[in-house]
Amino acid sequence: MAVDITLLFRASVKTVKTRNKALGVAVGGGVDGSRDDLFRRSPRPKGDFSSRAREVISHIGKLRDFLLEHRKDYINAYSHTMSEYGRMTDTERDQIDQDAQIFMRTCSEAIQQLRTEAHKEIHSQQVKEHRTAVLDFIEDYLKRVCKLYSEQRAIRVKRVVDKKRLSKLEPEPNTKTRESTSSEKVSQSPSKDSEENPATEEHPEKILAETQPELGTWGDGKGEDELSPEEIQMFEQENQRLIGEMNSLFDEVRQIEGRVVEISRLQEIFTEKVLQQEAEIDSIHQLVVGATENIKEGNEDIREVPHL
Amino acid sequence: MASAAAATAAAAASIRERQTVALKRMLNFNVPHIKNSTGEPVWKVLIYDRFGQDIISPLLSVKELRDMGITLHLLLHSDRDPIPDVPAVYFVMPTEENIDRMCQDLRNQLYESYYLNFISAISRSKLEDIANAALAASAVTQVAKVFDQYLNFITLEDDMFVLCNQNKELVSYRAINRPDITDTEMETVMDTIVDSLFCFFVTLGAVPIIRCSRGTAAEMVAVKLDKKLRENLRDARNSLFTGDTLGAGQFSFQRPLLVLVDRNIDLATPLHHTWTYQALVHDVLDFHLNRVNLEESSGVENSPAGARPKRKNKKSYDLTPVDKFWQKHKGSPFPEVAESVQQELESYRAQEDEVKRLKSIMGLEGEDEGAISMLSDNTAKLTSAVSSLPELLEKKRLIDLHTNVATAVLEHIKARKLDVYFEYEEKIMSKTTLDKSLLDIISDPDAGTPEDKMRLFLIYYISTQQAPSEADLEQYKKALTDAGCNLNPLQYIKQWKAFTKMASAPASYGSTTTKPMGLLSRVMNTGSQFVMEGVKNLVLKQQNLPVTRILDNLMEMKSNPETDDYRYFDPKMLRGNDSSVPRNKNPFQEAIVFVVGGGNYIEYQNLVDYIKGKQGKHILYGCSELFNATQFIKQVKYIPLLFVAIGIFQKRERKPLTHLNQLQPEPSSYTKIRCRHGRLRKP
Repeated sequence: MAVDITLLFRASVKTVKTRNKALGVAVGGGVDGSRDDLFRRSPRPKGDFSSRAREVISHIGKLRDFLLEHRKDYINAYSHTMSEYGRMTDTERDQIDQDAQIFMRTCSEAIQQLRTEAHKEIHSQQVKEHRTAVLDFIEDYLKRVCKLYSEQRAIRVKRVVDKKRLSKLEPEPNTKTRESTSSEKVSQSPSKDSEENPATEEHPEKILAETQPELGTWGDGKGEDELSPEEIQMFEQENQRLIGEMNSLFDEVRQIEGRVVEISRLQEIFTEKVLQQEAEIDSIHQLVVGATENIKEGNEDIREVPHL
Repeated sequence: MASAAAATAAAAASIRERQTVALKRMLNFNVPHIKNSTGEPVWKVLIYDRFGQDIISPLLSVKELRDMGITLHLLLHSDRDPIPDVPAVYFVMPTEENIDRMCQDLRNQLYESYYLNFISAISRSKLEDIANAALAASAVTQVAKVFDQYLNFITLEDDMFVLCNQNKELVSYRAINRPDITDTEMETVMDTIVDSLFCFFVTLGAVPIIRCSRGTAAEMVAVKLDKKLRENLRDARNSLFTGDTLGAGQFSFQRPLLVLVDRNIDLATPLHHTWTYQALVHDVLDFHLNRVNLEESSGVENSPAGARPKRKNKKSYDLTPVDKFWQKHKGSPFPEVAESVQQELESYRAQEDEVKRLKSIMGLEGEDEGAISMLSDNTAKLTSAVSSLPELLEKKRLIDLHTNVATAVLEHIKARKLDVYFEYEEKIMSKTTLDKSLLDIISDPDAGTPEDKMRLFLIYYISTQQAPSEADLEQYKKALTDAGCNLNPLQYIKQWKAFTKMASAPASYGSTTTKPMGLLSRVMNTGSQFVMEGVKNLVLKQQNLPVTRILDNLMEMKSNPETDDYRYFDPKMLRGNDSSVPRNKNPFQEAIVFVVGGGNYIEYQNLVDYIKGKQGKHILYGCSELFNATQFIKQVKYIPLLFVAIGIFQKRERKPLTHLNQLQPEPSSYTKIRCRHGRLRKP
């Protein structure tokens, strides 16, 4: 268990002060010491670099706070059903996305700029190393905050995709028979049940609303034409087949979407790796160039040596 | 009851964890460290001296230092440039030179703020020196915090620690046991050891009950440590062992037992050849602070005449707690290790093939109707493969590492026939009949280096009940010198043996044997890299080394003539500091074994094996320094032999015979203790 002796240290400082005063020993110049003090403090390089680095960090901090503040509202899927306070329209969300992206871009540009400038006037190896490490830390911080943003954006995108997928469940109007409308209703209700998003409640209602007038027109038109039982059966079979086809298509599309999402994730990983390798390949390239030069010079030197 | 057991189990937090936590807190400006994924980065510079380096390097890797925000880590006594606007964390010993250098730093205004951490407690006067320099440089406000860390020991494993590395000559076996040591020197050595042990207990957060043998250096350490702990406990204001350092439930039921033993009770173990992985690596290769340095010879091809000889590559590997293979197998017998490396390699290759197969499956995309249905599985497989790639690479790295290390060890074993030595020594130490005569092995030119032979003979000499006859001895000596050995260690061991014979009967090593399992093993059949032909697949039988036996007696409160008269210290007791009557009648759950004079991995492994069989008990092993047999022999070789005649110990009046000692006024009080003891114990 470590022991804090800072107070002891301060007490020692006081002791030394009083002792020096008593002995009349000049402490770093005595009276002049205080003057040297002032002189010494001001020309000390306050570190243009570090103040700018801290600026960037505070910017990123602001971005992070901004994202965290609105995160709850952003993710909230039931916003259109809730009260005024929690609501966030899509336009607002888009605005947040745009702002965040602009912000992130400016921050990363600032970091790049700092990087190029950091090494300009400094001759000390240690200071260079230190600055590189500091910039790495800042970049890492930015990445972490960006992750916040991309996470919530991914959730939002997924929701939108889900919604779109559900809205495709709407049947093509005016091509279905009276019987098929009832079977559609049947097929809609299980799919309605399987979806958690209450937004889909609208769709079956819409469909029902649409089919009502259809029924009406059909009802009117039916009187003119008599459908034989075979035709009814045929239509019914066709309906079933079409439903089956639609369902399987729907399943496949869902699968493909899932895979595409995965593939995009994989691609992200790959791009990251490729970028990393780019840096390494660059350095290897440099080394190889250097090595070829050396070999060339070596060969020349060997040729110059008179044969023994 | 179950909760108590759970509490003690949780309480036995490894010493490594505690020290790491303490270091991380220090690096976090002395505030407990909490991981926060969206926290702002803070950067700092770490300045350490060589002591600090030795403490930090087995515990924190450079990457972990980076994660704590350290941009640069520098040695105190190197050239350092001013880096503006950055706080500096210092982790140094409070020695004169270090303090001077720190004052210089303050004067040169190298950094923006200073967090000073001293490895062991700093004295008031030195603190005032720093205060002085800070005043002179008008930097008092820059010194943000000053801490005494009490971390003056090096933790190598979860349950093993060493005192120090930089000044180990100061506390080496030789330093403690040489006859020409003066009182003041002895005091310094003892103070160093006690300081480190004190820091250890502060970090552990417990006040132990101390037991030690009489008349040894261990006793001196025990007396001093007891005194120091006692003083600290009495000082209620500044006590380091108050309730909040202990943590809930920790050691509140039971206090640990500290057993202080002296190296001299058992000199055979440091010389012993060994068969377990970690101990072998330490014995045979250059293994230091969890880092092993290998020289890889770059092939046996004949280089063209006149060309420069091929340079050997030096490689060094860190054997860390993250290395799962190491953690699992560091105590296993070597053939088992070889087999396991093979197994790991095979499973790795299988996984690699999996990943490669996916690649070819991917190529089918778009060609085949059937392939599309497979795709959904494969994307999932691909994702999992890609995410498991880093893990796979890490595994490969470890397998490479261990293949290299194990191959190097195997080369040594084959070249020096270490398995033969090991088997023979085990037989000697357990007093079973020997099938081959000692003289044969010593004269055998193929088996082992001269040093190996010396070790074997010394073990034989130490373990026999009766000393070999003069004629036999001469024969052995001649054989040894023919083999190229230096006979100095023998002289020392002779002397030691005579001394301990008077003190007590030499400890027996147990009565079990090793069972050789035959020459062939599965390894050879699978044509692996580890062709162990001619190497015996020996199985270790558990037998307790002397140190383990002593611990067993003391921990389980068994009565045994060997340990009955061990002294008993309890720093928490109010009056008196010595009683031979142990107050505590219950067996201990926690014990710390500390060997004054040096220890090694064989003892450590023996203790680990012993405690494995006992549920809920924990042992920590520590020593003043770690040496392998080579280093030990080197130390022993050069201990000056001033007391030639054994009779010195019998009569105080007789002056020693060699000329060197006539320069000294009189034997120091330490040797007087030994003399006195010798007299007391004479039958």
